[in-house]
Amino acid sequence: MPDTNGAPIPLREFGRHDVKISAIGFGGHHLGDAPDERTAVRLVRQAVDGGITFFDNCWEYHRGKTEDWMGAGLKGVRDRVFLMTKVCTHGRDKALALRMLDESLHRFRTDHLDLWQIHGVCFDNDPDLFIRKGGAAEALEQAKKEGKVRFVGFTGHKDPSIHLKMLATGFPFDSVQMPLNAFDANFHSFEQQVLPELNRRGIAALGMKPICGHGTPVQKGVLTGEEALRYAMSLPVTTTITGIDKPEVLQQALKVAQGFEPLQPSAMQALRDRCRQYAADGRFELYKLSLQFDNPEARLAHGFPLDTQQVEVREMIRMGDNSGHPYPPTK
Amino acid sequence: MLGAAGFAAQGQSGAEIPKRRLGRTGLEVSALGIGGYHLGSAASDTEATQIVNEALDAGVNFFDNAWEYHSGLSEERLGRALKGKRDRAVVMTKVCTHGRDKNVAMRQLEESLTRLQTDHLDVWQIHEVIYENDPELIFAPNGAAEALLEAKQQGKVRFLGFTGHKDPSIHLKMLSHSFPFDSVQMPLNCLDATFRSFETKVLPEVNRRGIAALGMKSLGGSGELVREGAVVVIMGLRYAMSLPVAVTISGIDSIEVLHQNLEVARGFQPFSAAEMQTIRDACRLAASDGHLELFKTTKKYDGDLGREMHGFPSSAELPV
Repeated sequence: MPDTNGAPIPLREFGRHDVKISAIGFGGHHLGDAPDERTAVRLVRQAVDGGITFFDNCWEYHRGKTEDWMGAGLKGVRDRVFLMTKVCTHGRDKALALRMLDESLHRFRTDHLDLWQIHGVCFDNDPDLFIRKGGAAEALEQAKKEGKVRFVGFTGHKDPSIHLKMLATGFPFDSVQMPLNAFDANFHSFEQQVLPELNRRGIAALGMKPICGHGTPVQKGVLTGEEALRYAMSLPVTTTITGIDKPEVLQQALKVAQGFEPLQPSAMQALRDRCRQYAADGRFELYKLSLQFDNPEARLAHGFPLDTQQVEVREMIRMGDNSGHPYPPTK
Repeated sequence: MLGAAGFAAQGQSGAEIPKRRLGRTGLEVSALGIGGYHLGSAASDTEATQIVNEALDAGVNFFDNAWEYHSGLSEERLGRALKGKRDRAVVMTKVCTHGRDKNVAMRQLEESLTRLQTDHLDVWQIHEVIYENDPELIFAPNGAAEALLEAKQQGKVRFLGFTGHKDPSIHLKMLSHSFPFDSVQMPLNCLDATFRSFETKVLPEVNRRGIAALGMKSLGGSGELVREGAVVVIMGLRYAMSLPVAVTISGIDSIEVLHQNLEVARGFQPFSAAEMQTIRDACRLAASDGHLELFKTTKKYDGDLGREMHGFPSSAELPV
């Protein structure tokens, strides 16, 4: 195994609950970019062996492929991890949410999730639609009661005000996921506006997009992947979810996470300062300013245009093709 | 879809298109203005000329444009169509520095004047103030704000303004600088009224200061409000024109659309306050996630030049 320092990855408290999870989490979307299932399974196993216990996913990622592959990778080690996935109602009702939950469980080959979150709370009216009678909030409650999920939460990448509106519904969330990075610190900032509120309430804060989703600022040479990850992990969060699609990326994540020590406040400030000029117009945080990171379920439910370049849209189109072959492909 | 049934009748054919004061400029402009972008989308130069001439003859005197529309074609078409009639029109165009300096602005001004075949503009506005650091860049030393003042001093432009379609907070940031703006352009439509609203946040402030308010995107930018069934055309246009604005700039790319909009504008009577509220209420649900005001919620209406200057992906890479 890997060329890493071998120290354990720190475990942190999951909000107000007596549960601990690894300070770094395995992002599910990028797993679907692995070349094949075998590679994906190997990545998941290596992550578990390296000390990652938190696994992120979502019903709609790659139209189910990432849940399926992660489920295959977790075979036999399901009990060693804290498994999260997300439900893609995007304002639609409880019945749909529960149907998606059963599909997720089936793909994961498990009878329960450790955490089930509302995916992509990104549009201004999502909180109203979530909490309405017959809305997804009722599905979270019911799934918890039935023992299919242990904890519930929500996620979104658009605007701190929408997160605050979700919190204002009064629903007893166990976790909240949000983009946290050195650019966010100075632009429509979740770090400033949402994170302190979660910490105050004892809700587990889950960071995501430590290198802005697609790593653009790293490609542009503003900061290194390691610096970006260290910044995010040094914030008062339970875990930082990072996308992992190949062994090198996993190795880098493990290298940072094993024996992780948070950065000093002065080092944090230096990174924020370095990123400030790029944060001023949000150029590296396209998830806040464009639809680029909004998946088709969200767009369809809200009537926004689809992006035919998106992997999920391509999969949906393929599902409609009459190729003469069965879909999904039989194994 | 909200139709016209139950609302007071619209304008009368044959009547005049009302004129309104353009803020404190002393100019009077028609309540309906011709949008420059769509002039470049018209099928031919001939049709564009016809649109401008028929509009002038019908009493429309406000013409919008921008240096960057269709790489100059929109300005060229307007310039050709107004040949010999320049004095009958209030000509506005926009400068597209997108954060760059005064020299870029002055160079663009000369190009605009050449294309428009005129020695002066009536209104010169800073285009697409939509990125959050734009106000800072515009008012930086040697920034575009200095170009506006210099051009005015030189007599090349009579009045100054800015425009943007993204967020009321950015407009307010612009207005927080003590700069003598004569006009401010913004999206105004029956969905905006209840979503990131320029109508409630910017329009009253602009009116309080005596700045001319120029409305745009009365139907969502490309008719989204109509296509998606929120309102019928005449209701959407009438709503926008009933607001306290100097002019509603409407994108018109064919003679048919011109005729339709002229019918609304002739003898135009604003809706009553109660009618306005009924329309806002009817549109509230459709407005609530911004899917019909894509210029606020997506990159769709953000031009490529501005994206490039701000380091964003192009419209080919990130279409919506």
